[in-house]
Order: sequence, then C-alpha cells, then structure tokens
Amino acid sequence: MTSSLMLSSGMDLGESIYPEMLELGGVTLPLSGIIGTALVLILLLAAYFIRRSMKNWQDTPRGLQNVIELIVDTVHNFANDKVSPYADTLAPFTLTFMVYILFGTCIELFGIPPITKDVNCALALGLTSFVIVNVMALRALGLRGRIKHLATPSAVVLPIKVLTDCIAPLSMTLRLFANILVGYLIMHLIYLFCPVILPGALSVYFTLLHAAIQCYVFGTLNLNYVQEALE
Amino acid sequence: MELGLIAIAAAIAALTGIGAALGMGFATGKAVESVARQPEASGKISSSLMLGLIMMETTAIYGLFVAILLIFVVAA
Repeated sequence: MTSSLMLSSGMDLGESIYPEMLELGGVTLPLSGIIGTALVLILLLAAYFIRRSMKNWQDTPRGLQNVIELIVDTVHNFANDKVSPYADTLAPFTLTFMVYILFGTCIELFGIPPITKDVNCALALGLTSFVIVNVMALRALGLRGRIKHLATPSAVVLPIKVLTDCIAPLSMTLRLFANILVGYLIMHLIYLFCPVILPGALSVYFTLLHAAIQCYVFGTLNLNYVQEALE
Repeated sequence: MELGLIAIAAAIAALTGIGAALGMGFATGKAVESVARQPEASGKISSSLMLGLIMMETTAIYGLFVAILLIFVVAA
C-alpha cells in the first residue's frame, strides 16, 4: 500500500490521501496545520486593519462598514431563527466556522492544498462542533435534564439517540473531507489532461461551489444540532 | 482479472448517486409545490428543504469516496 496515488497505468499522480507531513529541522509538522495557522494569522491581521479603518461609527453606515454590518447581521438573524435565547453565544461561533472553512478551502484556487484535504483538520472541526453542542446542552438543561431529554418518548430510545449524537461529528467530518478531496482530485486530473482553458472554466464548479456549499452546510448543521439538543 | 473486479466494484459504488438524485428531485418538487400553495411560509420551507438536501447529498458523496479509494489506492 503506497502512500501516493497511482493511476492504474502506473502514472504517479503525486498526490496522497494520507496527511502530508513536513520535516523542519528534526520536528515533524503536518502541512495542513501550518497552512491553517498561517491563514488564521492573516485573517486576524485583516480584521485588525479593517477595525482600524472604521474609526468613526456612523449611524447610517456607508462603504466598508456597510458590508461588515450586512455579514454580521445576516449570520445573527440566521442564528436567531434557530436558537433564540443563545444567539449571542452561537452567532460568533457560526461565523468563525464559516469564514475558516470558506477561506481554508478557497486557497485551492492558488495552488495551495486546501486544509480539509487532510482528515485530521476535518476531524478537529467535527469534534469542536460536538463539544459545542454538548456544552450548550449541559449548560441549559443540566446533566439530569440532558439524560431525560435523550430518553424522551421512552427509555428504549436512549441508546439509539446516544449513538446518533456520537455519529453526528463523524458524518460531519467525512462529509467535509470527502467533498473537498474529491473536488481536488478531479481538478488535478483535469490539469494533467488539458492544462489550457478547461481547468479555469471547470474550477468554478468543482472548487468554488463545493467550498461555498460545504461552508454553509457546516454552519447550518451545527446550529441544527444545537437546536435539537436544546428543545 | 483483479483490475477488472476492482473496476466493477467502483462502478457499483458510484451507483448511490441514483438514489440521492431521485430523492432530491422528489423533495424539491414537493417544496416548490408547497411554496406555490402558501408563499408566505417560503422561509421555513426553504430551510427544511436545505436540511433534507444536505442529508441526501452526504450519502452520494460517501459512494463517490469509496469509488475513488478503490480506483486510486487499492488498484496500485
């Protein structure tokens, strides 16, 4: 079992399904971790500069402040529709997830491997969502209330509901990982066969649409699981 | 012989797309019908439709992922 993908005619694709590691002076670091950290630092710098250029808050916003307020308001209303009492806590989480996943997978357009091509990154995002759902449910209902909520129609459904709750982050992981990996492999094959105009035309579907849909799906599913656990 | 069997297995794995596409077509049709019947509920209908489409798309992607694993990793 080799660690790089080969077409059946023996041609080596030069890509791998397994996570790629970099060796820097004796320390082995994962490539997607380095790219993700650099991405977060760049986003924080951009946020700082945007905040500094909006020194005067105007009552009727214009320009950049308008765009920022539009984005934040949309996500806040979206969270308000689903989890009304806790929208102040959950709306920042949702926007953070969506921005991280959107920018992390759209860097594929620049030739950098997208961060969720590595299954560890997708697993970390799925486990974070699991922790958020359980912490919000335990804070709102308490441990006894949560167990009673899980055994709602009768005590027989308790194992089934616990199993469903434990499989949910696994399915979020695989959904994110498989979508991005499949898009990346298909674009790689298209580059090999016809490098001229076709990749630019098709990458609108395979790269941009997959990234945007997966980012929206992740945020929506997170809010749905919290709403289900809190009702 | 082995390469042929792997190819047939990958083709069978990619057939999960049929079920997903049929289900999505039915769901979208019913959603459009109910929006036509009651246009002021279109926000709630649209968000329920998105949730259903997400779940159906996931199973199709699982099948595609298994086919890619078979072609690229097992057939090496």
